[in-house]
This record gives sequence, C-alpha cells and structure tokens, in this order.
Amino acid sequence: MSTQIQATSRDIDGPLLELKDVTTHFKTERGLVRAVDGVSFTLERGKALGIVGESGSGKTILSRSIMGLLPPRGTIRGGSIKFEGREIGNLDRKAMRSVWGKEMAMIFQDPMTSLNPVMKIGKQIAEPLQIHLGMTKQNAWATAERLMQDVRIPEAKRRLEQYPHEMSGGMRQRVMIAIALACGPTALFADEPTTALDVTVQAQILDLLGEQRKDRNMSLVLVTHDLGVVAGHTDEIAVMYGGKLVEKASTRGLFANMKMPYTEALLLSIPKLEDRSHTRLNAIAGRPPDLVNPPKGCRFSPRCPYAVDKCRDEEPPLIATAEDPNHLYACWYPVGSEAYHEAKVRIAASKDAMSAVAVAGGN
Amino acid sequence: MTTTIAPSTAMTPASPEPAAELAPRKRRFKRPPIGYAFAVVFLVTLTLMAFLADYLPFIPYPDAKILGPDGKVGRYDWGPSWTAWFGTDGVSNDVFSKTIYGARTSLQVGVFATVLGIVVGGALGVIAGYFRGMVDRVVMIITDCLLALPALLLAIILVNRLDDYRLDTAWLGWLSRKWQIVLTLGILAIAPLARIVRAQTLSLREREFVLAARSIGAKPGRVMLREILPNLIPVILTVAFTGLSILIAAEGALAFLGLGVEVGTPTWGKLIDENRNKIDESWWATIFPCMMLFLTVLSFNLIGERLSRRFDIRQAGV
Repeated sequence: MSTQIQATSRDIDGPLLELKDVTTHFKTERGLVRAVDGVSFTLERGKALGIVGESGSGKTILSRSIMGLLPPRGTIRGGSIKFEGREIGNLDRKAMRSVWGKEMAMIFQDPMTSLNPVMKIGKQIAEPLQIHLGMTKQNAWATAERLMQDVRIPEAKRRLEQYPHEMSGGMRQRVMIAIALACGPTALFADEPTTALDVTVQAQILDLLGEQRKDRNMSLVLVTHDLGVVAGHTDEIAVMYGGKLVEKASTRGLFANMKMPYTEALLLSIPKLEDRSHTRLNAIAGRPPDLVNPPKGCRFSPRCPYAVDKCRDEEPPLIATAEDPNHLYACWYPVGSEAYHEAKVRIAASKDAMSAVAVAGGN
Repeated sequence: MTTTIAPSTAMTPASPEPAAELAPRKRRFKRPPIGYAFAVVFLVTLTLMAFLADYLPFIPYPDAKILGPDGKVGRYDWGPSWTAWFGTDGVSNDVFSKTIYGARTSLQVGVFATVLGIVVGGALGVIAGYFRGMVDRVVMIITDCLLALPALLLAIILVNRLDDYRLDTAWLGWLSRKWQIVLTLGILAIAPLARIVRAQTLSLREREFVLAARSIGAKPGRVMLREILPNLIPVILTVAFTGLSILIAAEGALAFLGLGVEVGTPTWGKLIDENRNKIDESWWATIFPCMMLFLTVLSFNLIGERLSRRFDIRQAGV
C-alpha cells in the first residue's frame, strides 16, 4: 500500500539515536538560559518515544538540538548526539544537510504556517525528492501523489495542484507529514503535531503517524505537553522539567507506576470524563522554573506538594527503579514511597482544616 | 465541499472520488473603484499611444513644423485647437505629439530605473535579511550611506561624471544620456527597496515554512529563491508602482534642471523646462505636459495603493 522509499539503512546494530549529557544553552541579556541541561537517552530503531513536559520545559529545544535546527548565534551546545553510531552533535549546517530529510525529518506544530503559502502543494512535496533523490520531475510528482494517498488525502491528484490556503488544518498537517516522509527518513520528529488541530483530527493524525512508522520501520519522537496524546502512540515516554529529564520509562511502566510527582501532576491535570460537571481542573500551582537561575535542589521542588527540605537543597540523581532497570526517575521521595504517603496525609489534613475554616467563615 | 476525509481508522486507501468537482464559482463582477479604473485606463492608453505613436495618424511627428493661422511658421501660434490639440510650442511643434513621445522616454526611464533598483536592491535586501550578521551590517551601512546623501545632489554629480567617463572610455559608448539617467535613478532606488525587502525577509525567515524547508535539507540559495522570494513579490510589486511614480517625477526634475536626455528627444521635464518662461501667454505648452506628468504619477500611486491594500488582505487571510 505505502511506497517504500526508505534510504538504504546502514547495517549497524545498536540504537538509532544515542544522547549523552546533551546541553543547549542560550546566551541572553539576562544571562545563560539552560534550556536543555544534561539529557541522556537512547532510542531504538522503529520505536516511538514521547517527550512530555509543559511549556518551557525544553522539549522543543531538545528535539531541535537533535535535528541541529537551532540558530547558531548565541547557542552553546554540549554533550554527544549519536545517530546510527555517527556523532552529529558537532556537525555544521552544511554537513547536516545530508542528514536532514533523508535521515531525520521534522513535523511542526502549526500546519497553518509551516507550508509556503505561495507554492503549490505538489511542488512542495516533489521538490525535495528531485533535489535529494535526484528524481525526474515526472517521477517526483508521481511519488508525491502516492505520498498524498499514503497520508490519506482524497483526490490526491487534484490536491497536488492546490495551494495551502485551499486546505483545512488537518489536511495541511497531512501534507506536512507527506513532505517529511518524502525522502524516507529513519527518524521523524513531530513537534506538537496536533496542538493546533481539532480533537477529532488529532486522533486521525496520530493514528496516521503510528501507521506510517510501522510501515516504514521508522523511529518517531513525539513532542507534546499532553500525556493523553503519547499514551496510545508511543513505546516509551520521557518526561522533561526545567530542561532536565525527570522520568523515563516504557509507556506501560510509566502509567502503571509513575515515580515523579511532576508526572503525577501532569496526569492529574487531564480532565476526566467521569468527573461531575463543574469539577475544578487540577492545575499545577506556580510557574515553570526560571532557566537563568534554576531553583536549587530539585527543580520541581518549589511547586511540588510533597517537597521537604532535602528536595530544596540537593538535586536528585536520575536512578532506576528496583523493579525495572529501564524505568528512570529523579526524585528523593518518589510517588509510592513512605515519605510520599506521609506528605499526602499531611496535605489532606491541612486541606480539611482549610475547608473547615471556609465553612465557618461562610456562616 | 463534497469531499470528506476518510477516517484513518478505516484502512481503505483514499478513494479517488470522481464526482467531486467543485461547482463553477460564480463570478460576481465587482465594479472597481473609480480612481483605480481611471488609473488603469489612463496608463494603458498612454503606454499604447506612446509606443505606437509612429503609426497613429492623429499624432504628428514631434519635429514636424505646424504652420500658424497666417500660413507661416511662428512661435506659439496655436492654442489648444483642432489643428494642434494641445497647441504648439516655441519651435512650432505639436505639444500633444511631444507629450506622447515624451511619455515614451519618461516611462522607459522610470521602468528601467525601477527594474534596476528592484534587482539590485531586492537581492541585497534578501541576502542581508536572510544571512543577517556581518553581511547585514555591510549592506545596511551601504544603504544608510545612500540614503544619507541628498538625492538630487547625488543625481547631478553622477550624471555629470558619467558624461565625462563616457567621453573618455571607449566601451562606455552605449551609455547615452538616457541610460545615464536610468543608472542614476536606479542607484537612488536601491537603498529604499533594499531596506523594505530586508525588513520583510527578516520576518519571513522566522516563519515556520522556512524552518520546515531547512529541516528537509534545503540550501540557503534555495530557501531564498523558492521560499522567501515568492512571498516578497506582493511587497516588491507594491513598492515598485509607488517607486515608479517617484522616479518618473524625478526624471522630470532632472530634465528641468537641464540634466535631461539627448537634445531632440522630448520628455515631460524638458517640455516644462523649455516653455516655462512663456507660461503667462502660452500656458498650454507648460500646463499640458505638467498635467500628463501629474496624471501618470497619480495613476501609478493609485494602483500601488490598491495593490498594497489587496495584498494586506491576502496576507491577513493566510
């Protein structure tokens, strides 16, 4: 059904993508912004990884760091990024151009702005094929039509002749996916691919991404703030907070046994269908940390309901759980530990006291 | 309208629905604003007349002597009349004919100077805006210098110098007075165009589709030519029309100062200059070329304004 235009994959065992202590800092007038601060993980071939975190947690910057798409000015990059065993973290733009498109491609958040408004859809898909793969124009357009069918755009032929403004948001995102898939990348980065779309279209786009990933044996990195989005569409989840990796586990393992209070808070902030109407949404109190002067100790401690003095003084290391060596977390008193339960009881007690005061005041 | 996106949970490949042709769009004829309609009609007529003047029977040659009412050649014999629509001038030539032939030169000078300004200024602007950094600094210093010099002074000096060079240098023989003026006005047009194009490029290069193009491996040259340049066309077109009117008026001003094209080739500026001493008695020889210049500049401005409004709407819609 789908056309395989995969670049000949190299015979290298081992992970597709290997990050070691990756840092991305920006020089600003206020000081050094530590947008990504020492992130390490590996991604296997054909797997889907979800990177989750709120705005400003560094998830987008991390994905762009891997792609090498950040402006060179004022950016300080460190650590090692290995792609198919080859170090790409220090490549310049010229060298990266052979990686972009053919090895790695990216889908952006807003399909309304990520297509060139004055170029026909067909041309936007076909041109990279002509340039990267040296196809003739006829071949490239024929391939473009097949790609359009792959991403389930009806009347592909007619659509190729149209301009972006003649399409809906979901359609445009499909076109973006078609462009990203055109040169057969081995890794696809999707930076909040569904944030700008309707909920109904979101599911379609995510299903499409998953399906194409399986068809093409491609790795997928799904960057989002929505745990619900990654739940059904990834093999692994990495949770980021304040530029750091705070928890990483298999999707199943994470939802079954989350360790980091931040992950818990993210999950609790999703509205539930069975809640009564007018139930207050659970927001995470406070603001994302200032990345110029990050808080001492655990970066989540100022907003963590369970934080104690140790959290505010010492930074917790990223350690594996007792049950699963692939489940990593960074917390002194993880969800489920004794200190966590004590804190929970304490909070419940103070909440009761508060509501008692409120009731008394109301009378 | 009739097409629906097949839910991707259904595993059927997208069917090429045959009967989904859109109904032919009803073309509602909207009357264009009167100013714009006039501008288009005027400019089209003027351009056609100017370039077909040799073949049109009602336009005499500009150097043909029109005999006065007394049957002799005199000065300013005819006012506006059937014999000479715009009257005759001090050397008994038909003012209408000279105005039309003048339009030929004036329009040519304006258009070529604008094209020169767009090509050089546009290229500089795109390059400066896209690469930023040192390239941007250098280009901006050059344009700032060009803008800081008094335009008229620069034009006078340039035309005079170029004339000297032409006489001294063998290969510059083609650089007649007309092309000297084109070159001068073109150079003057570079700086403002470069600035506008640069500003637009700065905003366009941050747009996501540029990043998207780069993320699939497009080289800077391609990004500039294929992604950014097509998006600049509305802006360039709008500025070109407004710039054209300014340059046509500037050509008039230069001619008025005696820096006109070769002797024997009429332009509006030269006509005004030659006849202005007699404006009290023989007003027609000055006023008609003035009117022509005024209407042309006005027309280009009206079109430019309409374009700018139209493209603003389009950009807001995208």
